[in-house]
Amino acid sequence: MQAVSSRYLARHLAQLLPTIAALILLTFCLIHLAPGDPVIALGGEHGDAGYYAFIRARFGLDRPLPVQLLAYARNVLGGDLGVSYVHGRPVASLIAERLPATLLLMSTALLLSSAAGVALGLLAAHRAHRPADLLLRSAALLGYATPSFWLAQVAVLALAIGTGLFPVQGMTDARQAATGLRHAADVLHHLALPALVLAANELALTTRLVRTGLLEALGTDYVRTARAKGLPEGRVARHALRNVLLPVVTVIGGRVGMLCSGAVLVEAVFAWPGLGQLLLSSLLARDYPALLGMFLLVSLAVVLANLATDLVYGWLDPRIRYE
Amino acid sequence: MRRKHLRVLGSFLLTAGVAELGPAPVLAQDAPVRGGTLVVAISADPGHLNPAITTSGATHAAAELLYNGLLGQDERGNPIPELAERWQVEQGGAVYRFRLRDGVKWHDGAPFTAADVKFTFEEILLKFHARTKASLGGPLAGIDTPDDRSIVFRFKQPYAPLLSQLDATEAPILARHVYEGKDPQTNPANTNPVGTGPFKLAAYKKGAEIRLARNPGYFKAGLPYPDELVMRIIPDASTQVLALENGEVDFLWGVPGPYLSRVKADARFRTAQTGYNPGGSNCIMTVSFNLDRPILKEVRLRRALAHATDRQPFLAQILFGEGKVAAAPISSEIPSAHAAGLALPRFDRGEAERLLDAVGWKREGDGARVARGVPGVTDGTRLALDFVHFPAFAKYGELIRQQWGAAGVAVTQRPLEPAVFAPAVFKERNFDTNVISYCNGPDPEIGVRRMYHSSQIGPAPFTNAAAYRNPTVDALFDEASRTVEGDKRSRLYRQIQEIVVQELPYYWLVETLSTRAWSARCGGFKPGSGLFAEDAFCKR
Repeated sequence: MQAVSSRYLARHLAQLLPTIAALILLTFCLIHLAPGDPVIALGGEHGDAGYYAFIRARFGLDRPLPVQLLAYARNVLGGDLGVSYVHGRPVASLIAERLPATLLLMSTALLLSSAAGVALGLLAAHRAHRPADLLLRSAALLGYATPSFWLAQVAVLALAIGTGLFPVQGMTDARQAATGLRHAADVLHHLALPALVLAANELALTTRLVRTGLLEALGTDYVRTARAKGLPEGRVARHALRNVLLPVVTVIGGRVGMLCSGAVLVEAVFAWPGLGQLLLSSLLARDYPALLGMFLLVSLAVVLANLATDLVYGWLDPRIRYE
Repeated sequence: MRRKHLRVLGSFLLTAGVAELGPAPVLAQDAPVRGGTLVVAISADPGHLNPAITTSGATHAAAELLYNGLLGQDERGNPIPELAERWQVEQGGAVYRFRLRDGVKWHDGAPFTAADVKFTFEEILLKFHARTKASLGGPLAGIDTPDDRSIVFRFKQPYAPLLSQLDATEAPILARHVYEGKDPQTNPANTNPVGTGPFKLAAYKKGAEIRLARNPGYFKAGLPYPDELVMRIIPDASTQVLALENGEVDFLWGVPGPYLSRVKADARFRTAQTGYNPGGSNCIMTVSFNLDRPILKEVRLRRALAHATDRQPFLAQILFGEGKVAAAPISSEIPSAHAAGLALPRFDRGEAERLLDAVGWKREGDGARVARGVPGVTDGTRLALDFVHFPAFAKYGELIRQQWGAAGVAVTQRPLEPAVFAPAVFKERNFDTNVISYCNGPDPEIGVRRMYHSSQIGPAPFTNAAAYRNPTVDALFDEASRTVEGDKRSRLYRQIQEIVVQELPYYWLVETLSTRAWSARCGGFKPGSGLFAEDAFCKR
């Protein structure tokens, strides 16, 4: 971490401001350019013209778009993400209520895919061109090519309905409101399937990256030198792995956005009460403030993940210096 | 007078038809069991639990058990007492007088009075509830409260459908002391509601579930049976079925078509079909012809398209049998207004071809039809129509494209999301033909008039999409809304249907029904009511 100067960090954090401004402008324009009218979703199908005009005025949707944009930008820069049309409550609190569930799902999936991906990649490289490697490579290819919504359905049928081992929906058992450790165990039980499904794609990619990188690294001069010096194979692999992790970290950091989109689908299938569900329902209802708030959050997460990737890079490779 | 009017209104009022299916009937013969938790799957987080400010199905499905209307409806659609214990119709339907139950308390212990009813109508329903505002807003002259237990609705002229508009779906009653002086759309009580219903809110876990607890002070002694009712939010319909099969939920509002036969054949479940839905009842999938388009003004062309449409595949392939081929413009779930025995154009491709030829649309070498002497159309112009639909109704578009295509009519499907569909069709009128699920509602005055009356042509959504104008039909609708006598009112609606079947501004494809499903361990559900779990119980 010493590779990163505080000036570098300050400069990059300062760049966040114009990035946020651009994000607000872009998402606001995109969302309003897309066809659709939230008034129908808000008012239902049986109102008269006066009723819809009344609803439009109440939510400020009758004002010119530039005026709406200015008001929204002013509010966001002041820390106010607005009030959801559908829920009638501040968007920030809606997001805060659902964020923990999504973070739990995504971080578990990320942890699972990274740890298991590195381990399986190591195993595949160690057993290169043998049956175990072939099996792992095939499984990784299949995992990478399988859409998560389909995998989710298969997982439910095979592991929940088929065996009764896992629940098919929700974050807790509806009939037994548990507390303390029993609650934690209940959540873990419900988390298992969605986290596995969300992790599958990333796991496959990480496994393939680590295997390929390691095979390449094990053939380099510095590894040959290390072996010639009599270093045990485990330490040789550790040296090589550190170099292999550079592209892996880049990929993981760059795929936070993908993980978010995967979470939307997985949350919908497993009725996981996170941001994905909120995003989907807000999209259908054209709940502009809620949508903009979530787009902003996801965009910021991607920007920050890339910054974090830079920082980890410096830690992994001592040759890299950020000034 | 009162008895007579009750009888005629009762005979007219609608039937929320419920057909029981499955291996065995509801466990009605079993003694209800007290206690336990009943788990119900709902499709969306409603956002709030105030059914008086919206007609959204998500809110009504989740919230109606917390409230009551002045009246309910029995299985045949006749009015039954809820918060009002009796009522009187006076001056030929221009005045309705209700006597409220004594001793009803809000969930917070405050007494329920006539002032709550007056406040709810005047300050909430007539401003925020789309259907109630659109239908009652014009005819209503005023609401009086002679005393704490009496409420009187005065109309500018006789108004027939009122008694079918007072249940928890159309007019849930809110507490004045909770809502007065505050914005009803942002009132914190919307997520922490105070009602009179059989259940009260225990916890609202956003995006996950709504936990309701038994209301021990409910005015219907002994009800409800479960200690707790959990509304579990499961957006994916397939997941809902799997959750039922896995024993995680007890009741589903709907079963997707591909799963119907599997669920019906499974002895662990019971099912029932109903035309009732919290967002809109008694719906007919209807093709609209845009009568503003010159070529569609020709009734023989519209008749040809109707003859070219085979409606049976819509029922079998899209609805998996959940419904029936429409026999009249008004739903058969409203028997007193539905005109049986009408001669709707039957599927006859030969007749369709003959009519198209007669109008001047002739087949060319490649089979497509082009104009040859069609008034106002350049000779050689191909007969091509667009067909606008919700993405969810794509299969309707595909069948229409195939069937009309076989008669030489080129059809281009234009799927539009609901929020885009409404302005495109009703405001910009940018379409040739479309399909809409027109929900007739509890009375033709609510969901049928808006399809045909010339005052209902845009820009409000789901009104008169065809832009149909017929002064006779307008006058008949106006007269029907004032006619309290059931037989006479039925005749008026029959006349309307006979005219529109001749003029075909629309073509009525299929009536849609929903299938409720529940665990065989449970019973007492009322599938055709918003208070569906008021009498429900589960054995564990």
